[in-house]
Amino acid sequence: MLSSGEKACFRALQALRDKEYRSAADQFDKAAIDFRGNEEMNLLRETTRLLMAVKSEIRKLEKDDAIEIEEVFSDG
Amino acid sequence: MTSLRTLKSLEILLESFLDRALAQKEERFTVLDGINRLDDITRATHNGDDTAEPVGNWLAEHNRWLAEDRLKPGDIDRISNMLGKISRTLESGDGSTAQTDKIGSEIEDWQKVARTVRPKLTLKRRPESAGDSSSDSIALFDNTLERLSGLFRDLSHSKQHLLSVLDGALESARLQKSTDALLLSAFMIYYLKQGGYKVEPYVKRLKEAEKLLKEAKRDA
Repeated sequence: MLSSGEKACFRALQALRDKEYRSAADQFDKAAIDFRGNEEMNLLRETTRLLMAVKSEIRKLEKDDAIEIEEVFSDG
Repeated sequence: MTSLRTLKSLEILLESFLDRALAQKEERFTVLDGINRLDDITRATHNGDDTAEPVGNWLAEHNRWLAEDRLKPGDIDRISNMLGKISRTLESGDGSTAQTDKIGSEIEDWQKVARTVRPKLTLKRRPESAGDSSSDSIALFDNTLERLSGLFRDLSHSKQHLLSVLDGALESARLQKSTDALLLSAFMIYYLKQGGYKVEPYVKRLKEAEKLLKEAKRDA
């Protein structure tokens, strides 16, 4: 039967296909010990991690750039 | 704003890289999906669930794999091992039904075809030349080690001792006439012998399995 590492690796690939990058990164971490010598998996894992970091930075910058709009209602 | 644009370009580039990397592996992914589903079914069967219908559906959906030559030798071994486990569990269940009998028969058919489509490794040494390289034999051995490692993982799952794994490997070598299982058994026997275990009964079983394998090859 498949080891837990292999299962995790498969789930990571499924998550990547569904563009669920956070889940993919988590599953790659679980599979890491079993696949430490597999260059292809390592490349996908590191690329996913880099993508997560890029997305996080984008979120931060977009938050900084957001303009706060305050509506002011005058009485009457 | 410039760094935001740069990061967004990088985001698109990385997503595109991942998409293309997966697209290249689409066919392999389909195979892994099937193996993963069979693994789930095997576990459910082992836990006592009624899996006759899912197994039947799996076989109906995937029995063309062998004819289409889509599987690696390691995949064939893994699938055969899982189907063997399912078959044994169904046989040991309370009474057989027409459905379980049919599944057992379909699994047996798969195992028969699997044995015939496995690539036969025939090592013939070419006449030596000055520039002769041994890289082919090294690659073949490397591939074998990788397959044996996968087989070991399958057989050792939920086992408590290496002797139990060896028992499973010898059974696999004997029943499925698997060369990989035979090689793995021999490796484990030698390893245990180095550790001071009494291995004579296992050596005897290894020789019996080897004899059966030779007969099967001669008849093929």
